[in-house]
Amino acid sequence: MGATLLETLRGELGLSGTKIACGEGHCGACTVLLDGVPVLSCITLVHTVGEREVTTIEGLREHPLVRSFVRADALQCGFCTPGQIVSAAALVGAVPEPSREEIRHHMAGNICRCGAYPRIEEAILTWRD
Amino acid sequence: MELSRPSTVDEAVAALGNGAVALAGGTELVPLLRDGLVRADRVVHLADAVPRGIDGTRIGAGTTLAELEVDPQIPSALREACRLAASPQLRSMGTIGGNLLQATRCWYWRLEFPCRLHGGDRCHAAEGVHREHAFFASDFCASAHPSDPAAALVALGGMLRTDRRELPVAELYRLPTEDDRSTTTLAPGELILELDVPAPEASVYLKAMDRRRWSFPIVGVAVARAADGVRIALAGAAPIPWAIASEADLDGATPLPGTAYKLDVARALVRRALAEV
Ligand SMILES: Cc1cc2nc3c(=O)[nH]c(=O)nc-3n(C[C@H](O)[C@H](O)[C@H](O)COP(=O)(O)OP(=O)(O)OC[C@H]3O[C@@H](n4cnc5c(N)ncnc54)[C@H](O)[C@@H]3O)c2cc1C
Ligand code: SF4
Ligand code: FES
Ligand code: FES
Repeated sequence: MGATLLETLRGELGLSGTKIACGEGHCGACTVLLDGVPVLSCITLVHTVGEREVTTIEGLREHPLVRSFVRADALQCGFCTPGQIVSAAALVGAVPEPSREEIRHHMAGNICRCGAYPRIEEAILTWRD
Repeated sequence: MELSRPSTVDEAVAALGNGAVALAGGTELVPLLRDGLVRADRVVHLADAVPRGIDGTRIGAGTTLAELEVDPQIPSALREACRLAASPQLRSMGTIGGNLLQATRCWYWRLEFPCRLHGGDRCHAAEGVHREHAFFASDFCASAHPSDPAAALVALGGMLRTDRRELPVAELYRLPTEDDRSTTTLAPGELILELDVPAPEASVYLKAMDRRRWSFPIVGVAVARAADGVRIALAGAAPIPWAIASEADLDGATPLPGTAYKLDVARALVRRALAEV
């Protein structure tokens, strides 16, 4: 099979912020944005990306969500965090003041084995504080 | 492996067959290729060949579940089935055409046990662990069809247009048999191009899951009321989307020991859904 976007990001480009956990579309650790839309890089063939713009966690260094995740202590091991922040960035980009229900709907594809969900929700609710 | 990106339906059809497979969003196909469950030396990316977008009752097969989930032109049963399917990332990538053609989630099949659906002579699930499996038509292969939108489309009386024919969505599916193990009627290399979903008077989709979101259906129930009556279809119930005529049809179910609970769930959801339309 051809290379995935994830393999290209982590291997060829040395951008290791994007994580791999399940490798089959279940967990969201590998989430990146394609033209602003969250997708799973572990099951995206790199040759299908075409002209679309790829945003990884490295490109979101200055995003206020990074600080709000720290402020809300929204992680334990931190492995899921890049994917969480990438998904959250797309959400608050589209809906600056998401409700809890909207957060739960839009963040459902990012699994956190440490169960930091309540604080992840908090970090997103307070991202502009 | 070679990847091509044809820009017309004719080119795409010509490129298929002979060790080539079609790729839409890739959410299903890429894992299957990687695990060796699908073997191909050429992949034909459909993005520029198959229509995408919604125009009244017509839906391009390349439309994503995320696009369907929010479009007010889409009947509520289909919108809700899409909204409750998979995860946000998968819905942004996955197309409706690919969703209708997803393979079973039966773990025996995914782990390549030589079961009936793989051409063997046993159903390992029926003899083994089958909590997620079928309670209708389970005697040959006990898999439960995983697609939420397919059940909604069967209840809504949706039609499919392929590169060579038109057919009701329900006729896209067939029960696997000794002579033919496939669960769809699609010919090799045949492409789904478009769906046509008539507007119902009312429709609803209810889904029971192991958790509140982001899970395959234990049971999904789609009910649509149109001028000619009410149609009911179930996800997670049989190897293919399963139409029933009335709640009473549930009395004819043939659950396995491990799927008897699904029948209770189905009964409750069918009642609730009928009350809602
Ligand atoms: C972890 C996970 C959870 C999921 N949960 C759910 C769920 O809860 N409910 C649900 O309904 N679905 C669920 N899905 C399925 C998901 O919705 C489908 O994988 C997706 O819609 C497939 O679309 P795709 O465009 O990615 O298809 P692809 O992976 O690109 O293709 C799938 C198959 O369809 C064929 N194909 C694609 N388009 C066409 C076409 N136009 N004509 C002919 N053949 C075509 C391909 O050759 C391939 O065989 C889940 C998937 C995953 C991976
Ligand atoms: S349920 Fe179907 S796919 Fe699963 S083991 Fe039995 S025959 Fe195979
Ligand atoms: S690593 Fe991509 S979804 Fe888990
Ligand atoms: S913080 Fe450990 S997986 Fe989320």
